[in-house]
Amino acid sequence: MIEKLESIKKEAVEAVKKVSSLAELEAVRERFFSRKTGTFTVLAKNMKGLSDTERKTAGQKINEVKLAIESELEHKKNDFEHSAWDAIGKNEAIDVTQPMFKGVSRGHTHPMSIVHTELEDLFTSMGFMLLDGPELESEHYNFDALNIPGNHPARDSQDTFFIKDHTEWVMRTHTSPVQIRAMQKYGAPLRAVVSGRCFRNESTDASHEHTFYQMEGIVIDKNITIANLIGVMKELLKGVLRKDVEVRLRPGYFPFVEPGFELDMKCLVCGGSGCGACKHSGWIETLPCGLVHPRVIEAGGLDPKVWSGFAFGLGSMRLCMQKYGIEDIRQLHGGNLSFLEQF
Amino acid sequence: MLISYKWLKQYVDLPDSLTPEELGLALTMSTVEVEGIEYQAKQFEHMVVGVIQKVRKHENADSLKVCDVDAGSEIVQIVCGGSNVREGMKVILGKIGARVKWHGEGELVELALTKIRGVESYGMICGADEVGLIEMFGKLEEKEIADLSKLKAKAGTPLAEALGLNDVVIEVDNKSINHRPDLWGHYGIAREVAAKYRKKWASYAVPEIKEGNEKKIKVTIENPADSMKYTAVMLDGVTIGPSPEKLQARLRAVGIRPINNIVDITNYVMCDLGQPMHAFDATKIKTTKSKIEIFVRRAKPGETLAALDGKERNLTEEMLVIADAEKPIALAGVIGGEYSQITDATTSIIFESAHFNAALIRKTTTKLGLRTDSSSRFEKSLDPNNCIYALKRAVELVLEMCPGARVVSTVAEKGKPVVFTGPIMVTKEFIDRKIGANIPTKECVRILENLGFNVSVIGKKDAETLKVGVPSWRGTKDITIPEDIIEEIARMYGYGNVETTLPMFTITPPERNEIKAVERKIRSALSTMLGFTETLNYSFVSPRLLQLLHLDVSDHLELANPIASDRPYLRRSLLPNILELVERNSHAHDEVKVYEIGKTYLKEEAGPRVSENGNDLLPRQDVILGIAYLKKGESTPFFTISQAIREIGVYTGVELVIEPVGASVGYIHPGRVAKVVTKMGDHVGDIFELHPRIAADFGFSDRVAYGDLNLRVLSEFATTNSSYKPLSLYPAVVRDVAFVVSATMFHQDIHAALVGAHPLITSVTLFDVFEGKNVGEGKKSMAYRITYQSPEKTLETAEIDEAHKAVEKILKEKFKAEIRV
Repeated sequence: MIEKLESIKKEAVEAVKKVSSLAELEAVRERFFSRKTGTFTVLAKNMKGLSDTERKTAGQKINEVKLAIESELEHKKNDFEHSAWDAIGKNEAIDVTQPMFKGVSRGHTHPMSIVHTELEDLFTSMGFMLLDGPELESEHYNFDALNIPGNHPARDSQDTFFIKDHTEWVMRTHTSPVQIRAMQKYGAPLRAVVSGRCFRNESTDASHEHTFYQMEGIVIDKNITIANLIGVMKELLKGVLRKDVEVRLRPGYFPFVEPGFELDMKCLVCGGSGCGACKHSGWIETLPCGLVHPRVIEAGGLDPKVWSGFAFGLGSMRLCMQKYGIEDIRQLHGGNLSFLEQF
Repeated sequence: MLISYKWLKQYVDLPDSLTPEELGLALTMSTVEVEGIEYQAKQFEHMVVGVIQKVRKHENADSLKVCDVDAGSEIVQIVCGGSNVREGMKVILGKIGARVKWHGEGELVELALTKIRGVESYGMICGADEVGLIEMFGKLEEKEIADLSKLKAKAGTPLAEALGLNDVVIEVDNKSINHRPDLWGHYGIAREVAAKYRKKWASYAVPEIKEGNEKKIKVTIENPADSMKYTAVMLDGVTIGPSPEKLQARLRAVGIRPINNIVDITNYVMCDLGQPMHAFDATKIKTTKSKIEIFVRRAKPGETLAALDGKERNLTEEMLVIADAEKPIALAGVIGGEYSQITDATTSIIFESAHFNAALIRKTTTKLGLRTDSSSRFEKSLDPNNCIYALKRAVELVLEMCPGARVVSTVAEKGKPVVFTGPIMVTKEFIDRKIGANIPTKECVRILENLGFNVSVIGKKDAETLKVGVPSWRGTKDITIPEDIIEEIARMYGYGNVETTLPMFTITPPERNEIKAVERKIRSALSTMLGFTETLNYSFVSPRLLQLLHLDVSDHLELANPIASDRPYLRRSLLPNILELVERNSHAHDEVKVYEIGKTYLKEEAGPRVSENGNDLLPRQDVILGIAYLKKGESTPFFTISQAIREIGVYTGVELVIEPVGASVGYIHPGRVAKVVTKMGDHVGDIFELHPRIAADFGFSDRVAYGDLNLRVLSEFATTNSSYKPLSLYPAVVRDVAFVVSATMFHQDIHAALVGAHPLITSVTLFDVFEGKNVGEGKKSMAYRITYQSPEKTLETAEIDEAHKAVEKILKEKFKAEIRV
């Protein structure tokens, strides 16, 4: 009996060793463990003639051999299963660089919107309201209220679009009228920016457009100083460019501010040594700004003796062109999808 | 405007150690924007005065000569083809390294040692055009070389020095001095420079005119507002000829071509003091024996003037002229008349030095499209007190240049100009408060006095007030209020010296702009999720597009002065320009999915106020979303737009209902049009397909769908989702129902009915629609997926059956549907 069991065990181990597939392994399992015809079932039937003690010893031995064979079978099965996973890397490989067909391709935001959105986020984080105003403006808001009198060159028809049959209407030449509208609507203190479309009656070429965009800010509060203006402009540029920039302030003239400034930043291309981008001056003209003219504060319905403020402008179209290296301004209104799909 | 460094030094004593670059920077930082600094001598590097010692024939070329040229320190051999080359001639010798333009054309070329037909040449004898001096020397024939023989300069003298072309020219951006009438001449700039460097500036010293008594000039100013001052004087015995080399060099440096002594003098005085002048040939002006009458008046209807530039101009009553007793002789402040201009034969002249109203001059130049050095100065509101100084300087120069000349008339001085002279009262506290820095009172006073202001300090220490008198050259329009004085102090003190501070602000969060918030959500839905591309189109639209859509141009606002005439109308809708864009792109792209967010202009609807006090209103200018779709072969682009608009509703938190309507205008497909409304019925927008007939006119070979939403209206209903439905713990059961109904039934109605058919229904989704022969004429087959679920228990089959029966019942009874099995 014992010998027989040893030979069964040996036979089983040999058989498991030889199998080359899961199906063959199952066949081996059937051969030994089938309920009807398996080796152990047959063996159990043959144990009827044994004495109690013999049967007990044999029973123990049988269990031992059974466990050993089952363990062999399990090991082999595990081996097969593992090697099956090993192979899927090869069997199920795909070209991962291939695009999906018929997927919805993403759309595109206009680069001007991208720039305005970024700027608006920056300004709102600094506590500025976002405002908007009419593009078709009255001469009153576009000029008179901004201290631009009747004979000012800016009011020439070569700079301004006028509206037929409405002599006092113009296409706004800047976003500054919103300064007045904002003061009238919200009073003071006030912190607001406005971005939007403006118009100048000039023919279009690679660097000029009759339709363009500006972003403009106004701050009205008590005791606003030149020192404040420079301080805020520095912070602002730091936010726009995400780095510290060296700036300089020099006189500039705009009728709605007094004093007026041009704020230059050190050229980021050459670092100030002079290059084509800064016309070899080392500085880039960036922000026209100034303390709001007392007559403008008055036009906004506020007392210039109590309230003071500063205003600044950002040529967001030029900023956009610099950001993306767009060399021809006409692309922005050109409506060419091959251009717009790059953003 | 160009400023000569030499000229400037005439009025202010600048240290030799100061470079023009440093001066330019100082001006930029305190006064005007300097755009560039040019060294005249730079282009004449390696060029000297050469004296030709010997001219030999070239062995291999008849047209060439071999010259020995004295270059001062050496004799050099030059091969030259000059037609007029001769021994003893002084020439422009371009040595090795000089940069010239061959035959006056093309790029500059640097000279190197070369062999010409086998003979070495150590440079070049230059023609005037080859070194950019054609204006100075002229040139009669092609191979002529410039002849310097008249010059006193010795051989070897650097050319720039020999010709007086060694000035440094500072270029000032004109825009930066538009508001400063005093800076349109060297004297004014010198005053600023002196103030900056704390130097005294020389006063404008001019000798009194010794008046003659042979003629009397009578000036009549029709309207004193047109001309605050008019001065004139007559000289006789004048000989017209070239002006002295030094004066010519000055004019050339500032970009003015010398013409003759008298014209040069008027130009010189203009660039010197900033006061434009005019010289008339006195014999061409109608005079009596002893009296000259000059009228400063508006032009009469029908009057014309043949101007100096050779053009005849029609004058209007808005234009100011200078006239004799008969006719206009000059367009005041703009241009002189041809008839009375200075010619070589002129012997007696009348100088005019006057003040003209800035706005009037500006109007005239705009109307005529003619700007001159003179008019661009008058436009700035010049100081009328300068007229007499300019006249005196001009007379002084004529007497210097023409020994036979003499003043034969009295000096006419008409007009009593009134210029603001202050005082402006500025407290020290105000200065500190505006600048944000404590600049000592003494320093403030010094700065202002250096600029020519007249300052006295009133009040105790720490509470001083500056009483500031304004000089006439700043009072014409530039300086009027205390803030102007602040600028003068701060810019001279140096903005860079002001320590920056941040203002004290309250930390209230900004009020939200609802329309911008909606714009952002739409961009994120369309550009990020739905594959649309944002575009920007002009606010102006062409008549061609409007005609294609059969729209009435008279409904549109129109520009009074459009650029060219291609797009004169203001858009009432984004549609025309978007359609044009779609059409243009449809050739290169199979699919065009675009949108634009922009304003439209409706003249009949009420918009913002024209001014805070009046009742007049501007046209309504709402922000509109326009969205369009075209795809090759797509038969119902409508659904792409309607789906996008539904998504926008989801993104903005507004329940948008797409309501069937009939077409209201001809360009809309009458069977494919809907209104977009809120749940409450507010009209937000429209969706339609372009009528195929119109589409064909536009050049489309495929169908186009378009939709728009008014974002002002939409933003009023925008919400953010702030709740959720608890999830049921029990399983949902899904059943489909398919049926045939009349093709005129609307999904929206069926859907609404099914959702309400039974309380166990949690969702109803359309998943298939088709029409065709199998379905029957005028019918369509629809299939809906219906989800049943209870929040309380697992549903029994019988319960679901019952609910589904309710669905079928409604379909049959309400919609006359035939249930498909």
